Amino acid sequence: MIAELLFGTFFGLLLLGIHRKVIARIQRRPGPPVWQEILHMLKFSFKTTWVPATASAALFVGVVLVAIGIWTAALAVVLSGGSLLIVFAVYMLHKIVEHGFGLSSGSPYGKFGGVRSVISAASEIPLFVSVAGIALFTRSLIISDIVAYQEVHGPLLLTVPLAGLAMYLVLLSKMPFGPFSIVESKELVSGYKTEHFGVWRAGLEVCNGLKTYVLLTTFLLVFVGTMPFLFLLVGMLVLVVSLSFVCALCPMLSPYDSVTVQTIIAGLMLAYVSILVVVS
Amino acid sequence: MTPATQKSRALAIAVVSALAGITATALTLAGALPPHADAAVLVIAFPAFVLGLYLYWMAREGEADIPFVGY
Repeated sequence: MIAELLFGTFFGLLLLGIHRKVIARIQRRPGPPVWQEILHMLKFSFKTTWVPATASAALFVGVVLVAIGIWTAALAVVLSGGSLLIVFAVYMLHKIVEHGFGLSSGSPYGKFGGVRSVISAASEIPLFVSVAGIALFTRSLIISDIVAYQEVHGPLLLTVPLAGLAMYLVLLSKMPFGPFSIVESKELVSGYKTEHFGVWRAGLEVCNGLKTYVLLTTFLLVFVGTMPFLFLLVGMLVLVVSLSFVCALCPMLSPYDSVTVQTIIAGLMLAYVSILVVVS
Repeated sequence: MTPATQKSRALAIAVVSALAGITATALTLAGALPPHADAAVLVIAFPAFVLGLYLYWMAREGEADIPFVGY
């Protein structure tokens, strides 16, 4: 699994670099090179590092370890075709981790970022109702079972397209510079990660690369099904470019609007799944 | 703790966690360890390796530069 872990980290960072490049080109800026996020990670790892005097040292450092650890676990679950619920549990844990990042620093910017992370969780997590739509058809939430179902019946994206849309919004919520990226908005400097610099930020970049890779892989496996590895990478690239278009063309919403929009969509999803239950 | 001690401690963390991860993966490939045990080891070892390695190559052994105190 070590090879997959390293590949996932670097490919995820590359995708985040492509994301920045595409946004820049849509906005008629040259933008950074596509490998910028990899360089970022390496650059931060060489920077002088310490723990701020206002920080809770154990939590400040420990939360970086936890952030990388939970996404390592999520990758293991996805690779082994384990439960989709565990992947979503890791997603929720990541929200707590973001909160921990913000609160541990003692910085008001970090704290506001952490609080926004919890606020946005309240509206993102209901989007997981899309899982109910999947379970209605596959009768299982084990990724390998979902993939096997699609080999017989075709992609779930065609069977339950709105569930796919809800998961797409979950992905959009985690992409930087998106309409729902309220945890890192510029009025909070860098949000929850403002005070995590140097090696701690480099560790966070590793987590971000891994998280991007895991979430995109999960989306493709659950809604498109199994495919050759090269096609999987191309699929991730297509997904990222589409997300970049949304991020480039939509302004970042205010925290209130972000939560309202996501809550409305979660409500619509609930209605959609209720209709599916009645029909089936 | 001196900077040199900190540096060697960071290297020790990186090496031990790398060895643990490689050993677990090798044992899994050989069939001596179940895959979930390999994953459990990597969940602990990979973050420790990343931070240990970064702290090692970031750490300075000598004195730091004199900070800029303004014109």
